[in-house]
Amino acid sequence: MKNLFYKIYMLGFMALTVFFIYIIWEVTFAHIIEEYYGRERALEIGQIVEQKKHEATKTSFEKIILESDEKIKHYLGYKILEERRIKGHFHHIGFQIGPDKRSYCVDCHGDMPHDHIKELRAFLNMHAFFVGCETCHVKLEGAQKTRVYKWYDRTTGELVESPVKGSAPGAYKAKIIPFERVDGKLQRIDSEDRMAFSREYREKEKSLSQAQKSRAKKLIHKIVSKQPAICEDCHQKEASLLPLADLGYPKERIDSIMSTEVVGMIKNYTKFYMPRMLHPGEELPKVEEKKAVKSEI
Amino acid sequence: MKRYPAIKIKDGKRYFYRFTMNQRIQHIILAWSVVTLVLTGMPLKFSNSAWAPYLYALFGGIKAAPIVHITTGVILLILFVYHIGYLAYVIYKKQILPLKQKEGLSLMKVLIILAKQPLVPNLKDAFDIRDLMKYLFFLTNKRPDGDNFTWKEKFDYWAPFWGMIIIGLSGLIIWNKELATHIVPGWFLNFSLIAHSDEALLAALFLFIWHWYNVHFSISVFPMGTVFLTGYMSEELMAEEHYEHYVKVMKEAGLEHEILPPHGAHAHESSEGGHSA
Amino acid sequence: MKVSLPYLKSYLLLFLSIPFLIFSSPGSASAADIGNCLLCHKYPGMSRVDEEGKFRLFFINESIFNNGVHAKVKCEGCHTDITEIPHKPAKKVDCLVECHIVEPSSEKKFSHKSVETDLGQSVHGKIDSAGKSKKYANDFPECKDCHDEPLYRPLSFFKKVRPGISEASLGRCRVCHKKDEFIYRFYNHVTTRLHKSRNPINIAEVCARCHNDSQLVERHGLSTKAVFSYGETFHGKAARFLDERIPDCLDCHVNKGESAHQMLSHKNTQASTNDMNRGKICSNIDCHPNASPKLATYNVHAEFNLKQSPAQYFFTVFFIVLTGGTLLPLMGIILLDLIRRFFPNAVIKRRK
Repeated sequence: MKNLFYKIYMLGFMALTVFFIYIIWEVTFAHIIEEYYGRERALEIGQIVEQKKHEATKTSFEKIILESDEKIKHYLGYKILEERRIKGHFHHIGFQIGPDKRSYCVDCHGDMPHDHIKELRAFLNMHAFFVGCETCHVKLEGAQKTRVYKWYDRTTGELVESPVKGSAPGAYKAKIIPFERVDGKLQRIDSEDRMAFSREYREKEKSLSQAQKSRAKKLIHKIVSKQPAICEDCHQKEASLLPLADLGYPKERIDSIMSTEVVGMIKNYTKFYMPRMLHPGEELPKVEEKKAVKSEI
Repeated sequence: MKRYPAIKIKDGKRYFYRFTMNQRIQHIILAWSVVTLVLTGMPLKFSNSAWAPYLYALFGGIKAAPIVHITTGVILLILFVYHIGYLAYVIYKKQILPLKQKEGLSLMKVLIILAKQPLVPNLKDAFDIRDLMKYLFFLTNKRPDGDNFTWKEKFDYWAPFWGMIIIGLSGLIIWNKELATHIVPGWFLNFSLIAHSDEALLAALFLFIWHWYNVHFSISVFPMGTVFLTGYMSEELMAEEHYEHYVKVMKEAGLEHEILPPHGAHAHESSEGGHSA
Repeated sequence: MKVSLPYLKSYLLLFLSIPFLIFSSPGSASAADIGNCLLCHKYPGMSRVDEEGKFRLFFINESIFNNGVHAKVKCEGCHTDITEIPHKPAKKVDCLVECHIVEPSSEKKFSHKSVETDLGQSVHGKIDSAGKSKKYANDFPECKDCHDEPLYRPLSFFKKVRPGISEASLGRCRVCHKKDEFIYRFYNHVTTRLHKSRNPINIAEVCARCHNDSQLVERHGLSTKAVFSYGETFHGKAARFLDERIPDCLDCHVNKGESAHQMLSHKNTQASTNDMNRGKICSNIDCHPNASPKLATYNVHAEFNLKQSPAQYFFTVFFIVLTGGTLLPLMGIILLDLIRRFFPNAVIKRRK
């Protein structure tokens, strides 16, 4: 027994010694080699980095803010403010929210999907940050209609308690998702079946023919209504689309959302921009394939 | 001397006296200060690593750790000076003084005495290294017969000795840079810093891997060598590492007939694990 | 070891508390949001991709903004082209604009205009002394390349110097001044200005954006990746451990009494880093007051680089070879020793 223990111990120590050799190499001779190549290739590496920067221009909220590596810690003495840094951005961001890993739509449409109407897109993206796409873009009718909405966690996708109380407005770790009624039972609109189908489509997209692709896209977008819900569907005192109280909004927040200030501003916007909002695809030429996907909504 | 006989018998086993109390205390101070210095120094050398701030925080972070480092460094330097004095005193009193009284002194004689100190490297060490290589490459199964201090122990002694001079001097300069630069130019600090940190890395790796392997982790001594605490070494270990000296001590004690064979130390292995070959 | 204990506690606390501190604030100043811009801009998701594919974020974090030096400035003070709601896409902010804040000593409207002049004459100006555009003029910094929204870093001096606001001091302010918002802002402003407005590591990070870029360093014929070599010195390492007392880039490269915008090339005889003036940097009363001027010949930006500092290169190589050359053979012996003990009786030539 003792002998076996010694054998195992020796084998372990042999591995450890090899590790030590590696460490010693790393802290000694490796430096000389590194320095030599560093001088030779400093410029070359710089060029590669520059190239990579150009390649990584795909813009998404997730990539830039939620998952960006470019973090900075401001040491203020009494506290440390840690946040993501956006080049050339003056104001501080200072919130830490994980990306939406669950959404049925984000994989294709990105997490800043609204870009057609210049004056409204930031507003719509702001809502999309905590309101699931299906909330506005799916209109349930008849037996399917439930008027049930719940919050799901951005990272885990699980249903969670309302995050509204105790968070800064809009900075929630969860998003709203509508429920539909299937065979008399309540079901998340982003059901496992739907998620699986769209995931499978993403995986097989390259091997599909054009006809197959468009069939699949039609199926995926089947639930999407022609015209999305508009601002006033929620921002009104009577018969708001979203049951805000059920979603955990305290009274003062509901009052603020329904306030004349918000509603008045929406009226202003509606007057100028809403006609275009209701018919998004029409004024903009469909150039890229990606945009074409959107126009099918 | 009666408290520390050359061979002590405990539980029927023989133990051999190797280090005096004075030497053991010196070693403990040395070990404690080196460990502290490494722990407070390495986070600075590798300040980019993830572990560095945590280790540094254990010693009070940037405000206190440098003070701990400097204080410990000063203690180590005092120990070094003491050790040199101790060495000079012992050699003078035990060897030079008797010689002076007996036959008078000459420079040559003093040099010979110094060269014959047990820790001074000699030709036998070179042969021992050669024999060890033969043993390690399976050319023989006879381990070299180490003397009182083997080449490993001489290495363990002289490497920190040289390190102490380099690190101590450069450390003093870095610590007292304001004063030092009245004498030496500022760029001397660049070199002091390089010498201080690079030599320290060498010393730390040397002590924590090589020295600890030989005195603690090698299976002959595992899990822990005790000679640095008790001053006594077991007979098996004595026969394995210091066979020549072992034989000499046994003969002096009149125990010629009880001397273990050179491979007695390996008995437990050859009987049980021999078939693995 | 007695010294270290209280620090140990505070450091552990510091590390443990980082995630919880983010939203706490030192004072309860309120913003000058007269236009009610935050009605919309308080939402983090206010964002879009602009025509050039650039990401734009329109979120304002109110609690952070209120602890910044601009808390009292109205949004329209800088975003001057926004006059009505709803507004069209706003123009880029001109930092040199005359804003609605009145500078109390001159009673004139406040502006960062003088910074432009200073910066133009400094080593970072886009135009050289002959009035011609410098080579690679685009590399030279503009306001936002170094500055984001400046935040207060208040200090308390009441019993001991520590970061944060002293409630005890505020009590004294309240004797005469009745508006708490004013008291907080004034306290924050003055105590922030009494020390560095950024931690050394934050300063170094700002400089590193350009001065650690090996391409830029090469383009402009600079001798070092400055922040990298600074990071190799004790100063840089201590900065990494968040020492506030340690000198950062600006402490040596800016003349005392001037601002970072007036930094000069070391070739300029007026520059603090000029060979003639360097001695004074180190022996500064806050740093090494008794040092000889010779201390300044310490090569702060020496790199382990054969071209840049050959003497140090070879000195380091000597130690590397000594370390590797000693340790690697010894590691080999340990490994062989382990293998030998694993097969104690395997011998090619048996001893006779």
